[in-house]
Amino acid sequence: MARVILDGMTKRYPGGGALAVDHMDLDIADGEFVCLVGPSGCGKTTALRMIAGLEDITSGEVRIGDRVVNDLPPRDRDIAMVFQSYALYPHMTVFDNMAFGLQLRKTPKDEIDRAVREAARILDLERFLDRKPGALSGGQRQRVALGRAIVREPSAFLMDEPLSNLDAKLRVATRAEIARLHQRLEATMIYVTHDQVEAMTMGDRIAVINEGVLQQAGTPKEMYSTPSNRFVAGFIGSPSMNFVDLKTDGETKDATLIAGSTEVRLDDKQAAMLQGHGGRTVILGFRPEHLSVGKPEGPGLTMTALIDVIEFLGNDELIHGVSDDRDVVAIVTSLNGLKVGDQVALSAPPTALYFFDPDTNLAITPG
Amino acid sequence: MLGSVAVPVAGTGEPGATAQLLPATGGAPGGGWRSHLGSLAFLAPAAIWLVLVTVYPLVATVRNSLFDSTGTSYIGLHNYQEIFSTASILVTFRNNVIWFVVFPFLVTFLGLVFAVLTERIRWSTAFKTIIFMPIIFSATASGLVWRTIFDLDPHIGLVNATTQTVANWINPPGFYPVNTAAGQTVAGLAGTGLRPGPNGSLESSSTVAPGSTAQLGLVGISLPALTLVGAHPAGTPSPAPGAVTGLAWRDFSPTHPTARGQVFPDEDGIPGLHMTLVRSDGSSAATTTTGADGLFRFDGVSGGNYRVQVDANNFKSGFTGVFFLGTQSITPTSGLDQTAQAILSVPLVDIAMIIAYLWIWAGFAMVVIAAGLAALNREVLEAAKIDGASEWQTLRRVTVPMLAPVLVVVAVTMLINVLKLFDIIINMAPGSSQGDANTLALAMYNYGFTGSPPATGLASAIAVILFILVVPAMLFNIRRIRG
Amino acid sequence: MSTASAVATPAASKQRTLRFPQWIRRGRPVLNIVLAVIAIFWLVPTIGLVIISLRPESLFGQSGWWTALTAPAQLTISNYQALFGQGFAAGGLLDSLVTSALITIPTTILVTVLASLSAYSLVFGRWRGRTVVLLLIVGLLVVPIQVALIPVSQLYKAFGSVTGFNPFGTIPGVIIFHVAFGLPFGIFLMRNFYMGIPKDLLEAGRIDGAGEWKLFRRVVLPLGLPAAASLAIFQFIWVWNDLLVALVFLASNPHQTLTLFLYGQTRFFASNYWIISTGAMISVLPPLIVFLSFQRYFVRGVLAGAVK
Repeated sequence: MARVILDGMTKRYPGGGALAVDHMDLDIADGEFVCLVGPSGCGKTTALRMIAGLEDITSGEVRIGDRVVNDLPPRDRDIAMVFQSYALYPHMTVFDNMAFGLQLRKTPKDEIDRAVREAARILDLERFLDRKPGALSGGQRQRVALGRAIVREPSAFLMDEPLSNLDAKLRVATRAEIARLHQRLEATMIYVTHDQVEAMTMGDRIAVINEGVLQQAGTPKEMYSTPSNRFVAGFIGSPSMNFVDLKTDGETKDATLIAGSTEVRLDDKQAAMLQGHGGRTVILGFRPEHLSVGKPEGPGLTMTALIDVIEFLGNDELIHGVSDDRDVVAIVTSLNGLKVGDQVALSAPPTALYFFDPDTNLAITPG
Repeated sequence: MLGSVAVPVAGTGEPGATAQLLPATGGAPGGGWRSHLGSLAFLAPAAIWLVLVTVYPLVATVRNSLFDSTGTSYIGLHNYQEIFSTASILVTFRNNVIWFVVFPFLVTFLGLVFAVLTERIRWSTAFKTIIFMPIIFSATASGLVWRTIFDLDPHIGLVNATTQTVANWINPPGFYPVNTAAGQTVAGLAGTGLRPGPNGSLESSSTVAPGSTAQLGLVGISLPALTLVGAHPAGTPSPAPGAVTGLAWRDFSPTHPTARGQVFPDEDGIPGLHMTLVRSDGSSAATTTTGADGLFRFDGVSGGNYRVQVDANNFKSGFTGVFFLGTQSITPTSGLDQTAQAILSVPLVDIAMIIAYLWIWAGFAMVVIAAGLAALNREVLEAAKIDGASEWQTLRRVTVPMLAPVLVVVAVTMLINVLKLFDIIINMAPGSSQGDANTLALAMYNYGFTGSPPATGLASAIAVILFILVVPAMLFNIRRIRG
Repeated sequence: MSTASAVATPAASKQRTLRFPQWIRRGRPVLNIVLAVIAIFWLVPTIGLVIISLRPESLFGQSGWWTALTAPAQLTISNYQALFGQGFAAGGLLDSLVTSALITIPTTILVTVLASLSAYSLVFGRWRGRTVVLLLIVGLLVVPIQVALIPVSQLYKAFGSVTGFNPFGTIPGVIIFHVAFGLPFGIFLMRNFYMGIPKDLLEAGRIDGAGEWKLFRRVVLPLGLPAAASLAIFQFIWVWNDLLVALVFLASNPHQTLTLFLYGQTRFFASNYWIISTGAMISVLPPLIVFLSFQRYFVRGVLAGAVK
């Protein structure tokens, strides 16, 4: 088991203009489960492959344990990887698929046998050891791929969207299985996914990447409650956060911001925070699930919206509304009796409001 | 471009193929029975053509093989008996077996090596094009090109020119080689004052002592050879105390063609001759080399009588080439009877033709295997890397096993190809070797079309044997299609 | 906790070994050199052919063609002039070029058209027994032409005695034979391609009232054009390079194909090598041009035909 450190890790493809991975810094503790998450093409898989040694590192460093591994081939990095396509050897049995890495390392036969059987037991694959991958279901293949990684007892597990080829139900089950596996092995795991729900539920920590740049890294809770910029705020959480441009009134230092039907009464802390932005536009963000129907007294957000579409979710319903030509999404309890075409008043408490600088897209934070 | 070729789709329709092949019942709207007939009519021209020019002849050939060359009297299996008892036809089986065993394996191996290596370079498209290009040349043109490459004459054949250069560099010939093949001998070069010496050398016929001179005349030394080494007109040796001096010259004057023993002004000295001064017990007292005017001088010679020896290496002939298109066997078969020799020898010409054929077909194997390689799941190869496999281990234990189906297809294709070998043999093997390089396909043509009258029965029997040999490949293909 | 900025420890830096720039490490100099040597080796016969065809007849056997690499002054186009100077006399080079074209082009067209039609019938037709017919055609793929040479020449003679036209020894006779042995591969290749055309497309056409011919002409043939191109190029090169069929069916004809022309010179190999090399150069030009212009299609055909 080992700590994995990315220090200014950068990838530039020959001929390609923009950096695929741009000075990425990340310190992954021994035994930690970190999810790299971002939209497709953001560089997360490239980053993982650089850690694995499948891509050259243009500049910066990758350290696994106490070694700089930039110039080491994959086999000397002591890592295991689970691929999106599982990448099982089609001509080998399940047993040989798992044993291959150990055979190459000249591990004694009985030890290989013990390790493979142990992994097969954990993953419930004992019945399939003599089969070839072609005769297995998708979920079973996925478990073989995991088993192949486990038997190696590597310093770190790298996983590249390992669940994306499974159907929805199996995906949820395997998600839990990998989480259990992580607890059991107490191994360092780096997990790439485009699915923020997967990342939120599995990772000790999440690293959100966009256009090759690490946007923010932190626990799921931190990412949700204190996003450091507009991209992270919009990416984490489902449905996505609503954004509204607001112009602050610098002259009167009034604590109320108004844009059409949207009205924000700042509390004292927020008013102080936005002091420096007097007279300029700021971006207001608020999550659909923090909106409620009605117009309470006191500070916070109020707005009216014309209901466009209602998606019934059971206990709640998802309202797509239009407010001053802007789309607004809200999750409200389904007991409200709202209909399409209704004008509805929505509100959110001050604690649920986020402000972002429109120039830098960074969150505006107190102090 | 060769770099971007999709996976071969041959042989395997999509999984739904079998279902679609089942006959549909009932007509679709707007079609009706006429559309059944219509689409069947599309097949008709090809079907008639195939029946008349391939299916019927197949049957007729079987019939012909049971008749004599006139095609009128039935002789049973006699043609087949003759095939298996005629040494010159058994040779064709031997050659087909040699090609069968060696060629598909070699060409698949070469194709695999090229396909794997070319993935790792930037100019792979150029490389593939170069290797692939010979396939579009006719085997006739290729065979004729390779025939010159393997030509015996080092002034024509590149291989023999190279071999000669290397051989002469390792073991250089003398300045004045004696062509024993043309009946020349070293002894025949002895003119004035010379007689044959030990071990193919010449020695002075009389003894010399320090202070005296020796006049050694050689005949049969060619003028071009002398011009090449820069000979001057023969000099006049002067005696010196404590030294043996002398002259070696070309004892032939164009102006006095019959006079021997006398040095004329138009006679050249022989330069560069290695000479040894030999004591009467045969041991060497001194060595020297003649100058441009043919003069030589052994210094510091103590008293006594000696003979001057012209060393044998002056006359050593150079490497004259290997007849790669000849019938010399690379397996030892001397002492065997004629039939056994016919079956067991492997003539050089076969090897030369296999090399030429590899040149033609390696590109095909490479392109097919490269397409298979491109279709492999890259992640599996990366998984092997992460599992700790070196490039070689990845190749041997992952890539090649995954490619096995493609390798089999290439090898089977080449097996069929080699069975029908014809153009390369008839064009590349010179007439003198063609009998030993003969194959079934060529023998079929020779018996069927060049004799007078042609032995059509025998030729038909050979064709039937050819057909029987492709049947396994036929079944292999059919099985592949049916899935 | 936000982005962690790690501090490089001195110990970690020390482990760094001497490192070449990536372009050298990725460049693999040894591999590049080895492959370059192989490529040169592969080019030698072709270069040799070109040079021999450009050297005067008198130098053949006097010095190797490779001496021209250091003494290019010896190169001349006199061989080409001499061969072209003979004009279109029967049995000459230019006449052979025409004969080869007269055989190859009709064969290519016939095979491509007939194979397309047959493949349409096999894939989209709705008659019984298509599977059996397909398997028969697959079986014919590997049948050696040797089995048909004698019976077909007998057939030709029989045809001649009935109709007065004996195709044996004529260009049509050669074409008929070539087409028959090109069809199985052609049908197979086109069939594999047509399998990928969605049936719905034809069903839609049928609902619109299109007949079979219209469906073939307007839907399947245009869609199958890439495969037809592959087949045509493959067939062109195949027939252009044939020797055996021409040797049997055209031997008695004063007009020869290029391969026959070349083969005819081998009886006086050494003295005719200037003709052989020059003729070989000219004979490889058409396939070479076709190959270089339609490389992608040709390679596709080769891949599809990995069974022939």
